[in-house]
Amino acid sequence: MGLMSRIELLDDETAPIPVKQYFADGDPGPIVAALANVPEMVGPTLGFIGAALGAGSTGVRAKEFAILRTSALQQCQYCINAHTTVALDVGLSSDEVKALRGEVELADAFADEADLALIAWIDANAGATGPIADDVYDSARKHWDEHTLIELSITIGATLFLNRFATGFELPTSPEVFTRLAAEGLS
Amino acid sequence: MSAPTLDAPPITATGPIADAIRAGDMPGRIWVYSNYHCNLACGYCLTESSPKSKRREVDRDTMVEIARQGAELGFTGIGVTGGETFLLPWMPEAVRAMADHLPIVVLTNGTLFQGDRISKTDGMDHDNIALQISLDSHLPDVNDMARGEDNFRKVVECVPRLIERGVTVRIATTTEGDLDDPALDPLKEFVATLGVGPEDHLIRPIVRRGRADELNMGLVAGAKDIPSELTITADGAFWGSFGPTVSNGRLDTDLLLTRTILPLDIPANALLGALQGMPAGNDAALGIR
Repeated sequence: MGLMSRIELLDDETAPIPVKQYFADGDPGPIVAALANVPEMVGPTLGFIGAALGAGSTGVRAKEFAILRTSALQQCQYCINAHTTVALDVGLSSDEVKALRGEVELADAFADEADLALIAWIDANAGATGPIADDVYDSARKHWDEHTLIELSITIGATLFLNRFATGFELPTSPEVFTRLAAEGLS
Repeated sequence: MSAPTLDAPPITATGPIADAIRAGDMPGRIWVYSNYHCNLACGYCLTESSPKSKRREVDRDTMVEIARQGAELGFTGIGVTGGETFLLPWMPEAVRAMADHLPIVVLTNGTLFQGDRISKTDGMDHDNIALQISLDSHLPDVNDMARGEDNFRKVVECVPRLIERGVTVRIATTTEGDLDDPALDPLKEFVATLGVGPEDHLIRPIVRRGRADELNMGLVAGAKDIPSELTITADGAFWGSFGPTVSNGRLDTDLLLTRTILPLDIPANALLGALQGMPAGNDAALGIR
């Protein structure tokens, strides 16, 4: 793979038999290349991540709120880089991305009360410990269904796992992502 | 690496593994790499084994549990290889305990049975136990060039003694040439003089993995060319006994199935899943046995 990380990133030659299919169409990215070292974990982990981070019933915009904001709170540079491009692709503005990354005030990027309530609830989940304050929860529930918050809590949990995985093992951001971030002025 | 299975027990187990073995869709033997260190350092070694190798042992209780669970799942035999298996002091007792569950073939270089140390094989005059000892040439110098100084003498000395003790002995020859090369005839005749019949003399090719790969020796073989016997090591479970090779000190992962080794149904089911997605093999044509 040519990029440095703390662990060996497998490629199509070194990938174990049960996970070869993930490498059939080229480099599957460092998360799969790292997970492939424990092949029996690849399917269940990717299944969970795919469901947790995919659009689901919540939709991609709220999902990217959860993923990018959680990653920013956890200072996972790999995930911030990767999901900055995803967030742009699903329609978030550059200002919204910067706000979720903590680089500008949320109020300067988001005018919708529902968005702000959701981000406050994400912050209380992903960036804090202990119970969530009643006012934060009630505000989120005022705008969002219970099942949506349940699904987003799963997204946040999966993101926290990925944050630690990518940061702890120093997974490398791909050159393509760096190029895109530079072009968007979001390096 | 492979050896004939001793008389396989009837498969009474039920479940997908037993069904696949009964149907001939999955090999019935499990291999266990008990350790990677060795008192020899053969040029073609799959695992770069030597006295300096990291041991990477599978402990005694795990070995016996693999045999027990293997029998429950429907496997019909077990092979133990290394490294030199008898460098582990508990190996003789473990072999006898594993034989309570499945017929067992133990691969050894035969050099640790000199003199009184042949007592390591006490209790191995058992229908379920065979020792497979390597010998590559009937010419001492040729054999010892590949396998180490004085190896020929030690093997030739111990094989008749083992047979005399009632131990089933097989001889395995690894060759870089054709398996039916007439040049092997003198070796076959010599092995017979040791008391080992042709049915117990295995001749197999060098496979280009491990140290052989670094030296550009042997047959190039992919997964479909290698017998798909479930192989357990301290590093995980692999597709075939040629899977857990070491190249330049690094474990090859291309034939890795799972890092989990127990419960055994986890790697066994991973092998079954991989087999179901694998085209028909060429292992018989290459003679990799």
